[in-house]
Amino acid sequence: MTTRRGFLASLLAAGAAPHVGWASVGNPAFLAAAREKDGSFALYGLSGTGSATFRVPMPARGHAGAGHPRRAEAVAFARRPGTFALVLDCARGEILHRLTPPVGRQFNGHGVFAEGGALLFTSEQASDTSEGAIGCWDVNAGYARIGDMPTFGIGPHDLRLMPDGEALIVANGGIATDPSDRSKLNIPTMQSNLTYLNLSGAVLEQVEMEADLRRNSIRHLAVRTDGLVGFAMQWQGEPGVAPPLLGLHHQGAAPVLALAPLADERAMQGYAGSVAFSGDGSELAITSPRGGRLHRFSDEGVFLGVMPRSDICGLATLGRGYLASDGLGGLFSVSPERVDALNRFDCAWDNHIVAL
Amino acid sequence: MKLLATLALTLGFAAPALAGVNEVLDRHILPGVTGFSAATEALAQEAEKDCRPEALRPAFQQTFDAWMPVADLRLGPSEAMALSIAFWPDPRGFTPRMLGGLIGQEDPVAGDVADYAEVSIAARGLFALEMLIYDAEFSGYAVDSYICQLVTTIAVDLNRQAEALAATWKNGFAVTLRSAGEAGNTTFLTKDEADRAIYTQILSSLEFTADRRLGLPMGTFDRPRPARAEARRSGRSLRNVVLASEAAHGLAMALADWDLPETDMALVRVLEAAERIEHPGFQGVTDPQRRLRIEVLQQSVRGLHVAIETEIGRKLGIAPGFNAQDGD
Repeated sequence: MTTRRGFLASLLAAGAAPHVGWASVGNPAFLAAAREKDGSFALYGLSGTGSATFRVPMPARGHAGAGHPRRAEAVAFARRPGTFALVLDCARGEILHRLTPPVGRQFNGHGVFAEGGALLFTSEQASDTSEGAIGCWDVNAGYARIGDMPTFGIGPHDLRLMPDGEALIVANGGIATDPSDRSKLNIPTMQSNLTYLNLSGAVLEQVEMEADLRRNSIRHLAVRTDGLVGFAMQWQGEPGVAPPLLGLHHQGAAPVLALAPLADERAMQGYAGSVAFSGDGSELAITSPRGGRLHRFSDEGVFLGVMPRSDICGLATLGRGYLASDGLGGLFSVSPERVDALNRFDCAWDNHIVAL
Repeated sequence: MKLLATLALTLGFAAPALAGVNEVLDRHILPGVTGFSAATEALAQEAEKDCRPEALRPAFQQTFDAWMPVADLRLGPSEAMALSIAFWPDPRGFTPRMLGGLIGQEDPVAGDVADYAEVSIAARGLFALEMLIYDAEFSGYAVDSYICQLVTTIAVDLNRQAEALAATWKNGFAVTLRSAGEAGNTTFLTKDEADRAIYTQILSSLEFTADRRLGLPMGTFDRPRPARAEARRSGRSLRNVVLASEAAHGLAMALADWDLPETDMALVRVLEAAERIEHPGFQGVTDPQRRLRIEVLQQSVRGLHVAIETEIGRKLGIAPGFNAQDGD
């Protein structure tokens, strides 16, 4: 039963706005975009046991999303080159706001809330040069665009808030793309980097790959509560080379690259699609839909094992281990000891699972 | 999946019955890994008798022939084991480098088969053997030399790998495939997923043949790369394309229990295109006229891919992987 005091407190917590919280949509633990059997698209809320708590239709294929820390609102980003992002009311299934990047910019598929949900940051690039930028949006002003800041790299993809809430980390993938068809323009000279920024846009630290791994595009990120960053990469060099696809970085230290045994590494086909830490933080995993496998590593980069699964890609922290999703509709709980199939939907889960 | 089956019945159609996974296992994969295991045993015995190149080459060729029906499988135990049996492509030249290192130091690991299982996979398997018994840099060795001992060890190690591969297929992954959709099977949540996995293997194999076995030596018109042809030292590049195409066709036949006339015709076209190529190691890629014939072969392999997509994939409603196709 809601007391008046409790009601007021929750109102205050929600920025004194009449928005409903995640409890109204079944307290989902995750967001995941999907393509339905009939070819339409949707955004799902998922529980920790793999059941759907809500489903909102989407007008086009999504990539990743961001969940507001309190309100039952999700921002779903279109696939690159992203011309829109949608703020969805997950309770009513309505589109609250349609965000468009400024002229000459495009969204790059990822975004993150900060300042307790008052700010939204979006990963963007200049359409003509692929120079990276972070768009800043005032959530309480109806997602008004309030500015942007450079990412100090080309083609940024994933971005995350650091655990102190006062810094962002951006994966500058390094790949310049054609604004219309996403074809890659600068592979011979590309240079990827990881960039830490404070919320005003000042660079705190930047990490680049060594020369022989210059064509390893850093694309996805996971951050542990102590600030350890796991970064997943996609190899743009010669096929058949088995480069590391996972790196670990602590601010102020050199990055550690994590390799599986050669035959396993090669089976990943130079591609990691998602990365997440396990629930207890002692290890992390990457997925390769091309190789149809999930690789687990210790937090020091030691290979721990493989889980084969066709078209696996989405990955998030669940329980002591992980939640993984695939293009066949499967949802799995993966722990160091075992793999359990939680559910199988009649849809294709898209690249990412976003933890709420 | 029960729900899917129910839905299919309600709508008045049923997915076409597949000869499916059992046929694929019983007619193709299990005989394939068993045959390969037997061939490697003969090769190892031959090497123990006489480890010199001339003596070993016939058994080596037979072993490679026996490998091809299962060479491109990247499923179950084959996923990780295939690469230590056949380490190719090798764009950075790991195989000659690793072998050169062992030989230069006369590393005692060449005298111990059990230890040899721990060396880099680039120095194991068919391509390491090929390098030693065909490449002029190595193949002049004498009967009591270090290389001769190394060759024997690699042959025996290959036999052990082949036996392990066959056993793991029979006792492990065949069971996983046959029990698709049953409780506790987290690899294949439905029967359809197992069919899909086999189907995907067929297409990936043909893509590998077109893009790598043919595409690597072809390079570009201005820069052909004949040295990148698979197994060119043993003159098997063309033969491997033919055997890999036949293997893909054989898997398709086993997977479907209906006629595949377009697929049959497409295989005939591959064989016809292959017959017109003179050099078994694709060394004609540098000559415009002969290069054209290799391009025709590549197109015919892609034609086989299309035929299988049409006659099996479309019929079963299997589309390529949603995420695998879409890098981001």
